[in-house]
Amino acid sequence: MIPASLLFFLLLIGEPVFAGPPTSPEGFRVLDTPNDAGKSLSLAWKASPSDSKDRTVQVWAAKSPPAAFQKVAEFPSNTRYVKTGDFPWWVQPAGKGDHYVKLPSSQAFPIEDGKPYTVKLLTHEGTQDVWSEAAEGVSAPNYFNLVQVNNLVFVLAFTGVLLGSIAAARRNPHIYLRRIAGLDAVEEAIGRSTEMGRPILYLTGSGGMSDVSTIAATVILGQVAKKVAHYETTLKVPHRDPIVMAVCQEIVKEAYVEAGRPDAFKEDTNFFITDDQFSYTAAVDGIMLREKPAANFFMGSYFAESLLLTETGASTGAIQIAGTDSDHQLPFFVTTCDYTLIGEELYAASAYLSREPVLVGTLRGQDISKAFIMSVLVIGTALATAGVMLQTDAFNYALDLFRDFK
Amino acid sequence: MKGALKDFARRMIAIDRRIIFLLIAAATLLPLLNPFGLPIKVSPEVKAVYDYMDALPERSVFLLSFDFDPSSKPELEPQAVALLRHAFRKNLRVIAMTHWITGTGLADGVVAQVAAETGKERGKDYVFLGWAPGGYALIISMGQDLYKAFPSDYSKTPTLGMPVLEGVRNLRDVNYMVSLAAGGAGIEMWYVFGKDKYRFEMAGGATGVIAPGLYPFLRSGQINGLIGGLQGAAEYETLIGRKGMAVAGMDAQSATHFVIIVLVVLCNVFYFTLRGDKGKPV
Amino acid sequence: MIFLKRQLPLAITFVMGVVFALQYYIPHPVSEEAITKVSDWMKIISGFALVLGIASVFHVHAVKIRRQAPGWGYSGVLFAAIVITMGVGFWSGGESKADGAQTAFGWLYDYTMVPLQGTMFSILAFFIASAAYRAFRARSPEASVLLVSAVVVMMGRVPLGQFLAPWTWDVTQWLLNVLNSAVRRAILIGVSMGSVGLSLKIILGKERSYLGGGKDQ
Repeated sequence: MIPASLLFFLLLIGEPVFAGPPTSPEGFRVLDTPNDAGKSLSLAWKASPSDSKDRTVQVWAAKSPPAAFQKVAEFPSNTRYVKTGDFPWWVQPAGKGDHYVKLPSSQAFPIEDGKPYTVKLLTHEGTQDVWSEAAEGVSAPNYFNLVQVNNLVFVLAFTGVLLGSIAAARRNPHIYLRRIAGLDAVEEAIGRSTEMGRPILYLTGSGGMSDVSTIAATVILGQVAKKVAHYETTLKVPHRDPIVMAVCQEIVKEAYVEAGRPDAFKEDTNFFITDDQFSYTAAVDGIMLREKPAANFFMGSYFAESLLLTETGASTGAIQIAGTDSDHQLPFFVTTCDYTLIGEELYAASAYLSREPVLVGTLRGQDISKAFIMSVLVIGTALATAGVMLQTDAFNYALDLFRDFK
Repeated sequence: MKGALKDFARRMIAIDRRIIFLLIAAATLLPLLNPFGLPIKVSPEVKAVYDYMDALPERSVFLLSFDFDPSSKPELEPQAVALLRHAFRKNLRVIAMTHWITGTGLADGVVAQVAAETGKERGKDYVFLGWAPGGYALIISMGQDLYKAFPSDYSKTPTLGMPVLEGVRNLRDVNYMVSLAAGGAGIEMWYVFGKDKYRFEMAGGATGVIAPGLYPFLRSGQINGLIGGLQGAAEYETLIGRKGMAVAGMDAQSATHFVIIVLVVLCNVFYFTLRGDKGKPV
Repeated sequence: MIFLKRQLPLAITFVMGVVFALQYYIPHPVSEEAITKVSDWMKIISGFALVLGIASVFHVHAVKIRRQAPGWGYSGVLFAAIVITMGVGFWSGGESKADGAQTAFGWLYDYTMVPLQGTMFSILAFFIASAAYRAFRARSPEASVLLVSAVVVMMGRVPLGQFLAPWTWDVTQWLLNVLNSAVRRAILIGVSMGSVGLSLKIILGKERSYLGGGKDQ
């Protein structure tokens, strides 16, 4: 008869001793891995209180009708649990805390779609082995990744907001847009150039016509060209991209026509230099040093050449206005230019100046979406914090809607 | 006295830029000729890259993308050399490539040089795939079928059947990837079209200018580590225990930073000296 | 003609845009096959873009030489450099021979391309110093904060600064990982929304400036 105190002591320290022999995994099943391209099976079974690192689980699989089984995986029994954040609540192949193992096709054990495979588990501890019931599963590719349905919903919602905003802007183009500080300086810069009898230099950046910032730059160029046409100041627009040059040529020509000065338009206002980064920079620096423009505009996306351009321009005493969404070059522009339009201020400037419904509507749509994102950030942070403090997963129903699952 | 001081301040504020250039030149050159050598502190983001590489089993597949051209060579080549030395020391299988056509010769030279010093064989221990057009389309293509994206390597040897590529069908078979990027086609592109689709782990190496912009990707776990600029390269060289160009360059970088700090402080001293002057431009 | 210049490109853009936007959500191998085929096309088109670039460079500079516009001599130098580099490249068959020895093309790359690009990039170091001297003044409270943080980060990122003031390392790490990350994230969100918005406008035909020419609503 074991004394009660000894029994109590053994229970405290010797739990593994009393864990009992390994048992067959409960609820073992084989299923097609959901939301994938096929050639993969998933295994699920309930967790057991006696799972430990000393007890291993081996996965044995065979092609059905039963060929020879082969071992395809082995791991400690206290691993491979479904944790919070593994799956969204609307797609849960196994419950939280259950075991879940993905078995992709490999060279060692190829899995083909449409063919049945039989899988069984061997629980091994010390000299004891216990086999589970065999389960069969068939792999198949999926047509839709349900895990990312939240992503699709947000894309569609954003599209709807954008189209709605553009439609609203077409009905009322005078939607309020905050005045951008650098825009006042545009008038001042053009006036200064006219008084000094020196040209205006306008750069559209390194991007092509498929870049947002280049499109914004060309729109602002149109507005600058309209003002320049009134004052008959010389405008020089050197380019890195022939397609952007062709587009800008048309834009400047139209601007002069709209200003009632088609005769003042010069064909060589826009000219192509080269598409090589530093060759272009050297050429533009040369133009700045020789012709000493009174105003330099740097609109669009830029890379390492930004400081080389702006510092050279600063040395000639020109007033410099920059606008870029290249955040890595912002420090250089801010340091060397008189005014800098940061990121979306460039897009806003083009909308503000042109008042084109598409641009204004897009800006409004983006603002609405950003307001939504900011709200989600604040509320989501509060919910996640509350979840941790209250030790509950209840808030994950809301948080999962905004999580990026793969 | 006050007038003389203000005149001096006024002259110094408007100093010829070329004097500043000379000071920078001296600050760069002198430490290279007379290095003083200071310990390099290692940041967690660089250590993360090192630890991941160090934990890879032998013959794991390591993909290194040289997404830069000769203009960024001073910062990114030391990173490449340090990573390759580590990879070859760990007997990893190295696949190198580039998205920048003007960087192809540079990349081939670096890989061949480090391989030669570590006794590694082209085709068996490493391969330089070279450049192919497409940017993100190339990454997608590699993600589907590496041999279709690169039927031959840079030296025109067919990639199919190469011992170093045994068992590697596409990007899903890559164990770790580092993109050394100087700008546009680089880390973000590899993440969006590579890691997000094909689920390999990746890190980034970048020039000092663009490195701060990659911290959001680091903090969110989209890249597991970041080697920033020459300082990052020096940290990596310290971790692998083999000092190279980066550590040698840190003395010059230290001196240059300090010259700039002194210039900025002086400029502010002169500025505040003149600030009381009404009507006179500062 | 209008159909070929406007309607057809817009229709192709719409169909391809919608199909490959949806492709992201479809894991089926058919979808993967489609994106592989399209990416092969993209690679071919990118290759042709190189040809287009060279052709436009030739055209522009040929016009300059024919008109003897100011600086036309440099256009001649450009042509000579292109022809020589291409000729040497084809003749050498690469940058190194089978035995690893450098070819003439390799020599051109190592001793002209690399130093020229390196030189242009290294000018930045001098320019940033003169820009900092001119611009980093404590004109306002915000400028003062910028100035102090710039000095701290400049010290914290080099061994000498870490040696003289070890606290600058910790502050630099905090600035980079916390403040910098937060601000960059905000700009990234805004710029990314702009890119997504533009992509949607292009797919839906609201934005047509990429087709070239003037306004067309």
